[in-house]
Order: sequence, then C-alpha cells, then structure tokens
Amino acid sequence: MENRNQQFIIIGENIHTTRVVVRKGKLVTTAPEGSEAVRYTAADGSTRYLAIPDYIKRTKDYDEGSVKHVKIAVLEAMAGQEPSAAEGLEYIRALVNRQVKAGADFLDLNVDEISLRLQDQIEAIRWLVRTVEAMSPVPLSVDSSNMEIIEAGLDACEGRAGRPLLNSASLERVEALEFAKSKNLPVIVTAAGQKGMPEDDEQRVVNASRMVDAALASGIALPDIFVDALVFPISVDSRFGNHCLDAIRRIRQKYGPEIHITGGLSNVSFGLPCRRLLNDAWVNLSLAAGADCGIVDPVATDVRRIMSIDNQNAQYRLAEDVLLGRDRNCKNFLRAYRKGELQAAPAG
Amino acid sequence: MAEITDISNDFIRQEIEEYIERPEERERNINLFARARPKMQEIAAALIDGDNDTVNRLTREALDSGIEALEVMDDGLIAGMGIVGIKFRQNFIFVPEVLACARAMKAGMAHIEPILSAAGIEPVGKVIMGTVKGDLHDIGKNLCIMMLRGSGFEVIDLGVDTAPDRFIEAVEEHDALLLGMSALLSTTMPNMGKTIEAFIDADLRDKVKIMVGGAPVTQEFADDMGADGYGKDALACVATAKKLLGVVAKTRA
Repeated sequence: MENRNQQFIIIGENIHTTRVVVRKGKLVTTAPEGSEAVRYTAADGSTRYLAIPDYIKRTKDYDEGSVKHVKIAVLEAMAGQEPSAAEGLEYIRALVNRQVKAGADFLDLNVDEISLRLQDQIEAIRWLVRTVEAMSPVPLSVDSSNMEIIEAGLDACEGRAGRPLLNSASLERVEALEFAKSKNLPVIVTAAGQKGMPEDDEQRVVNASRMVDAALASGIALPDIFVDALVFPISVDSRFGNHCLDAIRRIRQKYGPEIHITGGLSNVSFGLPCRRLLNDAWVNLSLAAGADCGIVDPVATDVRRIMSIDNQNAQYRLAEDVLLGRDRNCKNFLRAYRKGELQAAPAG
Repeated sequence: MAEITDISNDFIRQEIEEYIERPEERERNINLFARARPKMQEIAAALIDGDNDTVNRLTREALDSGIEALEVMDDGLIAGMGIVGIKFRQNFIFVPEVLACARAMKAGMAHIEPILSAAGIEPVGKVIMGTVKGDLHDIGKNLCIMMLRGSGFEVIDLGVDTAPDRFIEAVEEHDALLLGMSALLSTTMPNMGKTIEAFIDADLRDKVKIMVGGAPVTQEFADDMGADGYGKDALACVATAKKLLGVVAKTRA
C-alpha cells in the first residue's frame, strides 16, 4: 500500500464531556475507601480512582449503566471539594498523557455537555483550555457547536505548544473563518450544508469547496485548512461509506497535497458490534482515498498497528464489504459476529 | 394463562425462548401469540426475520382470505415488531437489522392502511417530527420516523432546523396530538425548551403531547424542559409515542 509511511495527523478526541464508560465494564469499580469510582492509571503509572459523585448517581444515564467520566473530572477539578478536585485534575492529566503518548498531534477539547447554560460552557472551556495547555506538549483543538464557546476557548489559549485548531467552521458558521484568519489559526471546515447534512459525495464536495474557497479568499493557506468530510454511520445506509470516500478522493484531487482531509472516523461503526474492527478498516480506506488526518481516540486508533493489519484475512474483508456497501443490511458481517468469527483486533 | 407450547409456530416459540428474558414480557408475548392464528404468527415471524417479500405476500393473502385488517396489524405486524424491539434493546440485534424489520413492516402496512382509512379507522396516531432550530443533524430523527411509520403512525416530517413557530403551525394545521423534537447538539438542545415555552405562550401546551430525544438529551433534561416523554433511541421513541397517545389501550379495547 503506497500510503504506508505517510504522515497521519491525529486529533485526539478523548477530552470530551460526552465520553462515557459503562458501569458493568472493568473500569468502574469500588475504590479502596469503599466508594464507586472510575479506575485509571495516572501519569506517574500509579493506579488511582475518580469517585463517582452523588449528583451523577442521581441521573437516569447512571441508572441505565453509563458514567460520564470526563464530565465528572472537569466538574470536580473546576469546583469540587478536595481531595476530589485534585483527583479530577489528575484524571485530566492522565487523559492528556495517554493521548500524547499514543501519538496525538492535537488534543480536541469539548465541554458542550457540561451544562445547558452558555455561561457555564464558556467558563468551562476557558478553564479547561488553560488547564490542559499547562500539561500538554502538543497544541489544542477547540471544539464546540457554538461559535461563542470556540472563541472563548481560543482566546484563552496561549499557544505555547503550537497554534490551536478551530473546530469547526461550516456554511452555517462562515464567520468562524474571519476569526481564524484574525488569529492566524488553522481551521477545520466541514462539508455540512447551510440547510442540512449532505446527501451524497457531490453535496459534500460542493459544500466543502465553498468553505475552502472562502478560507483561501480570506487569506488562510491550504496547509492550515482541514476539511471534515463528515463520516456517517454505515448501519443506517450502506451507501454512506462510499459517499464519504468519494468526497475525500475528489477533494484531494481538487485541492492537491497541501490541504488536510479529516473526519470523526469512529462515527462509521455506530449501531454495530465489533466497532474496532470496522474502525480499523475505515481508517485504511480513508487513508487510501486521500485523508491524512482523523479526529479519533488515539489510544484505540494506533495508525501503525492499523496499517500493518493483514487486510486479506476473512474478518477484515467482511468489515471492508460493510463499509464499501457490498454487504446488504450488514448480513454477512452480523452472521459472522454471531458465529464468533470476528475477534477483537490484536493489540499494537 | 397460556403456555409456550400453546404457540404453534416454531420460529416464534424459539424467539421467545431465546431472547425474551423478563418474566412479564415473556408472559405477555406467550399470551399474545398463543391466541394469535397460525397465519398471524407466520407474518410476525417473517417480520422478525426482516423478510420484506414474505411479509408483503402473507399480509396480502391474509387480507384476501377475509381476516380483518386490524387483526393482521395487531397480531401479525405489531406483535412481531414487539419482539424486534426487545431484541434490539438487549443488543441481540443491531441497527441494520431493525431497519430491515421496519421496511418489512412498511410493506405489510401498505396493504393495511388503505383498508383502515376506507373504513374510517384512524391511523395509530399522528406525529409531527423535526430537529430543533439550529440543528441540521437528522439521522436519528429519520430513524425514529422510519420506526414510527413502521408501527402504523402517520408522521409529518418537518425536516431540520425547525423554528418553534413552524412546529406550532404544523400541530395546528394537522390537528396532531403528538410532537417529537430531536437535537444532536447540546448547544441546540435548549431550543427544545424554547419550543415548549412557545407552545405555552400560544396557549396550546394542553393540546399536544411533546416527546424529545437525541444523543445529548437525557430523562432529566426532558423533565426540566417540561417535555411529556423521552426516548433514548428509535424504538424507545415508538414506545413513548404509544404511551403518550394511550395507543395500547385503544387497539385492544
């Protein structure tokens, strides 16, 4: 494969307040002092416990079995009592370290789910940006669906480890380009339309081109532009994979080698089992189509491991068939899953 | 009370044995299928299998043989979908399979709807659906609509980025008793609350039940905003819709 040694830019997405761990899983356990907690390996290698506060235990999410661990860490570190505040901070430090060690080039921060109040969200992003910047040797990526939150986060950035990334601008948010230009920042532009999500590769290319052209016109250089080609779940429509891959190919061809093409790669496997296997195959397919960047969990998505996977083995080919729309209703893939023929991908 | 051996269809018996663990759900399904005709069990089995063509053919045959449309819908299609819902909730089946079942359901309903409407029997219910103002993400909303239509609801789809006024207009225009809003972004989620307030301001809040859903939405947010119901996925959306409209009570009255 010709892409084997190519540089792949990783935007680590693990510091999002949406992230959950399952209560039945191995990470949720009883801490030595007796409370229910999320177990983690701290930056110094020691095993530590982030206690699950009562206000989380009262939520229906928790009742139904999931724990928003990053949200807990941020809330406790920002405003909790000691020793819980210090634990929250350690937890965030561990998230930073693991991703950096796994090769993250940017750390994406998103606090949109911290609260429903804009003022709280803004306060949280400012705090988190300063906190993570003090811990991280790599630059940040400030992510929100609200431009005010993005601006607040980027304004709080000192950029010590490099210029932060603006995530993201789109046709419904063109003004974000002006902000990126004024601060000389790299920017993610998405292929979303002004009135809705793209229905095929053509709409992706048209939307993305309008954004790229607007960015170029405002003086942002190609290497500072990252196109999010929009990855949708293949479980919903078997054509979604090809729409995205074709768009990646066409955008690469149109704008040449300097522009970056990215996406939230793990979205592709939503609604299916064996997500890691599907995600791995999708990373390879995206790379082959011309993507050079991913918004991913860098711990799970070890690109060196993925690129060295045997892409001729049966389970990998089943995953590829799903992603390329060759397995109607994912029938063969799910049959193999039920027969126990889809193993967990080997660790790096 | 019926026993599982009272169910004649092998496939249905196996499905219940293998996938339905909660005692109350087992009992309800055993009672339901034990009294359903073999032909209805066959329709349910084909639906659970996601077999579009067979559901299509068997539904037509059943209606041609003189079985009532309502019975085919309740004992065949909706009964089958009930098992699909349980299997999905328990992670025995996945999104593409549920969608195949929904398409099979739709194939069956295509024969049934004209008969019901000619007889003056209303659809299970009428639902207005849309993503809220500022939110363009419609994959989840579209899944809900597929499942609602598959379960016999009439759905008016307002698409994405729906302003509160547009929701109000649609509820009034279609005389709908139920409204569903979805949001994928936590920054657009507050617009659900604003839409509910707009219904209060327009003095229409009592006229319509409002359900909400979407990735960042939780039961707590739904309660805070004053919504009547919340569903965590497309099948929960159908269950919530039925609950809010009191459909179960109506169909078996």
